Amino acid sequence: MSSRRRKSARVVTTLLVLAHGRALAEGDPFQTVVRAGREDGVPDERAHTQVSRTDLERRQPRSTPDALRYETGVFVQQSAHGQGSAFVRGMTGQQTLLLFDGIRINNSTYRQGPNQYAFTIDSRTIGSIEVLRGGGSTRYGSDALGGVIAAYPIDPLWSEGQWLVRPELFLRSTSADSELGGRAQLQVAGPVAGGSLGFIGGVGYRDVGMLQSGGQVENPNPNTPLGRYPLVPAYAKDGVTQLGTGFRELTADGRFVLRLGDYQKLTAATYHYLQFEVPRTDQCPPPYAPAGTCLTYEQQFRHLAYLTYEGKLSDYLWPLRLSVSVQVQHERQRLDDPSVLVQRIGTDEVLTLGFVAAARTRPILLHRRVTLSLHYGLDQYTDWISSDAYRTFTDLNQTAKQSRGQYLEGSTYSSGGVYADGALSLPSSVTVFGGVRLSYAVARAPAESLSGSRAVNQSWLPVTGHGGVEWKPQKVLSLRLNADHSFRAANLNDLTARQQTGPGFQFENADLRPERATTIELGAILDHSVIGAQLWAFETLLHDAVLKVSKTDAECPPATPQCVGSWTRLQLQNAPSLSELRGLEASVRLRIPLGLLLRSTLAYTWGEGPRVGSLGYGTTGVILGERVPLSRVPPLHGSAELIWQRASFELSAGLRWATMQDRLAIADYADARIPKYGTPGFAVVDLRSSFRIGDRVQLGGVLENVGNVAYRYHGSSVNGPGRGFMLSMKID
Amino acid sequence: MFKRTLIGCGLWMMLGVMGCESSPATMEDLMPASQCMADKPASVMCQPFTGALSSCKCSSDDYAPRYSGSKNDTWPTCVSDGNAFVLFGTSTPGASARTVAFVSMGTKLWKNSAVPSAQDMTAARDEYAVANGIGSRVARRQDIHYPEVPGTNKFACNDLTIAAQNPDRCAGPAKLKAIIDDAFAKGIAGTKPQVQSARIEAALLWFFYLSSLSEVWTSSFDNAADVDSAWAYLSGTERSKPIGLGQYFQQLDQETYDRAFDAVLAARCWRDLDKTLPSGCNLFYQRAASQVDKAFTRGMALILRDRIGKLPTLSGEPQEAALSFVNIIGLLMDRAARAVDPAKADQLKTSTQAATVAGVNVGQAQSLIDGLFGCP
Repeated sequence: MSSRRRKSARVVTTLLVLAHGRALAEGDPFQTVVRAGREDGVPDERAHTQVSRTDLERRQPRSTPDALRYETGVFVQQSAHGQGSAFVRGMTGQQTLLLFDGIRINNSTYRQGPNQYAFTIDSRTIGSIEVLRGGGSTRYGSDALGGVIAAYPIDPLWSEGQWLVRPELFLRSTSADSELGGRAQLQVAGPVAGGSLGFIGGVGYRDVGMLQSGGQVENPNPNTPLGRYPLVPAYAKDGVTQLGTGFRELTADGRFVLRLGDYQKLTAATYHYLQFEVPRTDQCPPPYAPAGTCLTYEQQFRHLAYLTYEGKLSDYLWPLRLSVSVQVQHERQRLDDPSVLVQRIGTDEVLTLGFVAAARTRPILLHRRVTLSLHYGLDQYTDWISSDAYRTFTDLNQTAKQSRGQYLEGSTYSSGGVYADGALSLPSSVTVFGGVRLSYAVARAPAESLSGSRAVNQSWLPVTGHGGVEWKPQKVLSLRLNADHSFRAANLNDLTARQQTGPGFQFENADLRPERATTIELGAILDHSVIGAQLWAFETLLHDAVLKVSKTDAECPPATPQCVGSWTRLQLQNAPSLSELRGLEASVRLRIPLGLLLRSTLAYTWGEGPRVGSLGYGTTGVILGERVPLSRVPPLHGSAELIWQRASFELSAGLRWATMQDRLAIADYADARIPKYGTPGFAVVDLRSSFRIGDRVQLGGVLENVGNVAYRYHGSSVNGPGRGFMLSMKID
Repeated sequence: MFKRTLIGCGLWMMLGVMGCESSPATMEDLMPASQCMADKPASVMCQPFTGALSSCKCSSDDYAPRYSGSKNDTWPTCVSDGNAFVLFGTSTPGASARTVAFVSMGTKLWKNSAVPSAQDMTAARDEYAVANGIGSRVARRQDIHYPEVPGTNKFACNDLTIAAQNPDRCAGPAKLKAIIDDAFAKGIAGTKPQVQSARIEAALLWFFYLSSLSEVWTSSFDNAADVDSAWAYLSGTERSKPIGLGQYFQQLDQETYDRAFDAVLAARCWRDLDKTLPSGCNLFYQRAASQVDKAFTRGMALILRDRIGKLPTLSGEPQEAALSFVNIIGLLMDRAARAVDPAKADQLKTSTQAATVAGVNVGQAQSLIDGLFGCP
């Protein structure tokens, strides 16, 4: 190395160290990469990231899924402005698992493809979110094929000395969707006999208007019969306001935490999310249907209450965590169809009772420099389904109950399992990981003769597991190799539901088998206080992957004229051969001079499965091979954030980008949400600022989509917000 | 072989994540060059009409699969030469389900031997209003005999405001929907259910007539497989067992029905010769569309003629029902009649739009229909 180069290197190093020292003194905004080290968090050896409360306040997400847009390997699809579904490693919905404070949010009605349920976790109650990429069934059971999204609520203040009362008020307004709302929150903490008690609770409300985009996203190929623009969304006359957007939201929550000494904690919590009048954008109106036709989620509610005991009782229960939960998911859909003067109302409700027991051991010394740590536990969830549907002739106000709802009334679903998961620390900085789980799932549904619905009586006993090894050749560098085998048992949506989906009418398959994912991942992690970087490569082989397969009219279930009348009829089927997903994920965080902090991510996923079925009605000029892309796999995408922080002041810029995705599954060609044929790429920049005025007031401002770019996340019905501001104020 | 592919792909970690693309093995909906030249058979001839239609002139430019498998007409060899409809798409179109629903509604309403009850009316309306059912298509159906709605949106009739401004082109939402909605409401309320049934029957026959023509049109620019729907709205069955509109035609005149079936086979033949989108062969498109229009219009004229003939044989509500039917189909036929002979169209309209049976000159009306629409 020349003396000049050495000198330059020294200067850069000095600047980095100076910058590092300053940053440490001012707080660490890199909590998204550096683990907070939750005892109940996702397995540390796996590919994962964390969104902190600081990130949430900086990014001002519109929802919980929106909060994940800057996370490595996460791509957020939206079928409606009031819905969002995170793709992790090419999978979403029922193929990923959503947890809240360790409790499963997923239930047996999660459908194939994106769903709206992550939106029903109020982002203003979240303290942090962890995203585990890759299979996680050993620890978490069914559905954790593509990843696990684990949200953790804000814990109340803790005071052993005196009683504290801390009221807070948060207000926000946006221009792109005319959002106006806020949250009032109260925290109380103080000593009680034998310990301390903390409470945090609040109520929130917001009214969100129709979303203006930066313009109309165009079809990549303007020479298809559709011409220049996709069929959805529909726009108002200004050409940017998207019809079928907007909603109202009401939230309420309360969380008591009783700490009994240093080792025991009792939590009683309840969270309520109520969303009203959420139009599904691609169905408002559906392609070719008259204006006024609209599928609206009139009510999308989630109520969760649970009691958790956590205690460090012995070396083998360090800690023991027991949770009992009750959850109600309620949704009421309304289809307004003015073409026939009909309104259809469907109500589906899922009552879930859950029990989780999880424990860890303290490291057990097996031999000199050889220690073993174990996680182990069991869990059990049972769903009870009620579902009905009504048709009303609006001109006569005449209502009739239909023979069945989306689901079969009286269906039940139970699932759970036992597991043990360990880490064996060996000499030479090597740690070996491994675990196994025995699960079960039982699906029961009654037959319904008028609709020709078969009874379901299925059960499965899947065995899953994982293994891995970590080697740390340097203190700041670790190399990891993991193999995981996870599963997703067919649920009641797969087995019994009939529904209009984006690509067409989808009907049940009572004979589906569980899908299984075997993932091998290789990671390199550099974790220095100045620079951090992660590089992960993965390959997932899906056995019996559940695919949407186009069907003929003769294959429709009996008594379903809406099926035979559809352009595209689909049924879920297990793929006859392996499907595969592979990809790369990279992230970098860097402290650079002038107090700037840089964080960047990049991810690419490639998915392919066997060709089953045929192209949708009207698809032209497309050549298919024997193997075809998997549905809605995200394109190459990434993000970057540049942050400049001072004690009472912060400026940051965020960049999100994606390249065009034209690798489409067969069902994607019939999906009006996907332009013909592929979703164009984009790059969107947001500028943000926040500053404190005195001790009690914090103001925030975001100029979103600075370039007023017309963009759409692949598979979405709705385009992203156009240029606009977002103003917030927090008083505490 | 597949395992080997996977093992190969498993090496991606070292080689990068791209690659392992399977080579295309089959092609779907690939668009070959259009074959758009009229055939020149050794002996160009057409099958002369016989019987009551003997005065009609045949044309060798009409597709004639029943006549030596189309060997003597000026259409090149195509998929329809076997005299059976071969689907363009991969499965039976949803239009077939709508034809089946029409038949099912008929058993509850206009073919019901008893007076339709409110329950019958409600059940029929449920069939009509089901998602992707007949009602969903009535609300967007265009009459392609009229000029398109100005602008670039070929489906502008979906907007009820635009439809109201263009009632002739947007016949489904602007004319038929109102008749059907009103008839169902009154029928369920018990107001002259036979009359309401007849109004629904007439409006839906009008819809099915427009639909086959419209599907041939949309097949030319929007979705080539719509040609399957043109067949499905005629009957959606094999030639010898028609249902729906095709059955009406057949019961009144076998040759008219056969010509209608020949016409949808002609449309399918055109889409076999020209798979391009938008269509690259106006010659065969125009021929097929014209053949469909002529045969179907003749069929509808026969339905009108038949119902006019029944008027004197009926009384009470059944007679009123038949008159309502004539009023509606008469409106439809006015455009076609006027295109042939405006003066005769005026005369025919006087009868078909009569408010009472006394105002209908049955003999004259039937004679006018025979003269205006004598040949399929």
